[in-house]
Amino acid sequence: MLTNNQKLKPPFNYKTIILVLLIFFIFIFSFKRVGMPDVVDRLYEVTLDTIGLKDKSKIADGLSRISNEMWPPVIETKKDINLILNFDSSNLPMYSFIENQKVQLYETNIETLELEYIEEEVLFLVEPLGYLKVVIIKIIESIEIAFWASFIALIFSIPLAYYSAKNYAPNKIIYYVSRSIVSGLRAIPELISVLFMVLAFGFGPAAGIMALGLHSAGFLGKFFAEDIENADKGPQDALKALGSSRWRIVKEAVLPQVMPQYIAYILYILDRNLRMATVIGLVGGGGIGQELKGRFDLFEYGHVTTIILVIFIVVFIFDQISAKLRNKLIGNSS
Amino acid sequence: MVYPLLKIDSVSKTYSGNVIALNNVNISISDNEIIAILGPSGSGKSTLIRTILGLTSLDEGNIYFRNNNFKDKNYKIIRNSIATIYQDFNLVSRSSIIKNIMLGDITKISSWRVLFNLWPKETQDKAMDIIEEVGLNSIDFKKRVENLSGGQQQRVGVARALIGAPDIILADEPVSSLDPQTATDILNLIRETAKKNKISVLCSLHQIDFAKSFADRIIGMKEGNIMFNKPAKNILKFDLNKLYK
Ligand SMILES: Nc1ncnc2c1ncn2[C@@H]1O[C@H](COP(=O)(O)OP(=O)(O)O)[C@@H](O)[C@H]1O
Ligand SMILES: [Mg+2]
Repeated sequence: MLTNNQKLKPPFNYKTIILVLLIFFIFIFSFKRVGMPDVVDRLYEVTLDTIGLKDKSKIADGLSRISNEMWPPVIETKKDINLILNFDSSNLPMYSFIENQKVQLYETNIETLELEYIEEEVLFLVEPLGYLKVVIIKIIESIEIAFWASFIALIFSIPLAYYSAKNYAPNKIIYYVSRSIVSGLRAIPELISVLFMVLAFGFGPAAGIMALGLHSAGFLGKFFAEDIENADKGPQDALKALGSSRWRIVKEAVLPQVMPQYIAYILYILDRNLRMATVIGLVGGGGIGQELKGRFDLFEYGHVTTIILVIFIVVFIFDQISAKLRNKLIGNSS
Repeated sequence: MVYPLLKIDSVSKTYSGNVIALNNVNISISDNEIIAILGPSGSGKSTLIRTILGLTSLDEGNIYFRNNNFKDKNYKIIRNSIATIYQDFNLVSRSSIIKNIMLGDITKISSWRVLFNLWPKETQDKAMDIIEEVGLNSIDFKKRVENLSGGQQQRVGVARALIGAPDIILADEPVSSLDPQTATDILNLIRETAKKNKISVLCSLHQIDFAKSFADRIIGMKEGNIMFNKPAKNILKFDLNKLYK
């Protein structure tokens, strides 16, 4: 005979039902608040549009308009030679040439005081790869930002990790202070901290480096510390029994154990900082993002395409390199 | 007056939760003596060794090394005379054989050398000699210890203990994770090198046959108490019954 305890419990009771309903209502409420019904409407329209049941979807419209302007990507620069200081037509930059173009202008007629439409011939200096060069210079700046940020993060994270590891912090106060710094650094999103860094260091790469660097120092500090805490105690005990000082134990008995993980974290941080470095320019942190924002604001979508393609290629290449590096540095030799 | 090499004087240790691990333990170890501590699991063998090493604090009693109290400032000198071999080897698994052995001398190396991995030539030479002594010379000394067999790893453990030229080696069940043949080999190695280098050994074991062939003297422990303390050849069935009944 079954006793009370042995009876199977029903898979749900009234509490479960109330909870499910509650979550359901919160879900619906939030769904409306953030404007998702509109998204659904438009996706519905665009679907009907593409399968030909309805024309004029706002999304399809907008996308097709932008995509027309986004292609082809712009890689050349064209400059009105009248705007170039000390222009010397006998000494052009490499691969560049001069192009004659008709330009349409509105000008105020001084007599009638009315706007008149005139056509004028203007000479342009065309550098076929000029814009690509600008973008590459800017993305190199982004790569530099990523490297410096990661380097600064590494430097800051070493003491933070040591003092945030419970078994190595000299005392509880230092431990808690260090832990708080680590979580504080991680808690502030880079796009926000860069705003403050711009106040401190001005517009440009330095602000971006500091914002990314401090955030990733928090990340590295936390994960480095956790690995120190979880490292095999055996070899640490062995050195401790010899009377070795703490930092020597960390260097000789902990670091060799955690090194593969550390390399993985550092590569991840480099990768992440590279992607973030392309974005922080949007809010004044230097690098390619600044260029991207400028072109976006001028509706120069052809330029935007070039920028996005270059970012994509650089991130892709870096991904490949870091995967190779990871395998080489960590790969099991056994 | 001649002081014993190591004197454990009325040492007691109670863990939180009222587990009495050591109950008024007295042991005296002379130079050149090999002692086995025999006892079932939980009898306090590891605790005894850990208190000598300073890895566990003791509640009562004193430990003296040639009449120097461990509680005094000269503890560091004492530590340089004590080496340890562990059950789980406690090696740095991703470091090489030679590096693990040299770590036995870490307290004698200056900080900047440790920081930049510049181990003195004489330490390296000493390590190479010891590699030969423990019978690892057929293996590449740069190999990571994680790629060695258990027996080979414990040979590295023995070598790390020998490099500091200690007066005494403490070993906590150094062979309990090894198969019987390898265990016998390792115990023979410890005994031979200890006798050759005039090192005393305090080694916990839980198999009686190992203890008998390994030690000069056997100390029987049970529930934190010493049940007997006799030359190995005098151990009787009656003594063993005290431990395992
Ligand atoms: N860190 C610890 N905390 C609490 N109790 C412990 C601890 N280490 C050992 N003990 C207890 O102390 C007793 C002796 O353990 P131990 O010294 O490891 O014995 P042995 O090495 O002979 O097996 C056991 O009852 C064990 O459970
Ligand atoms: Mg034990």
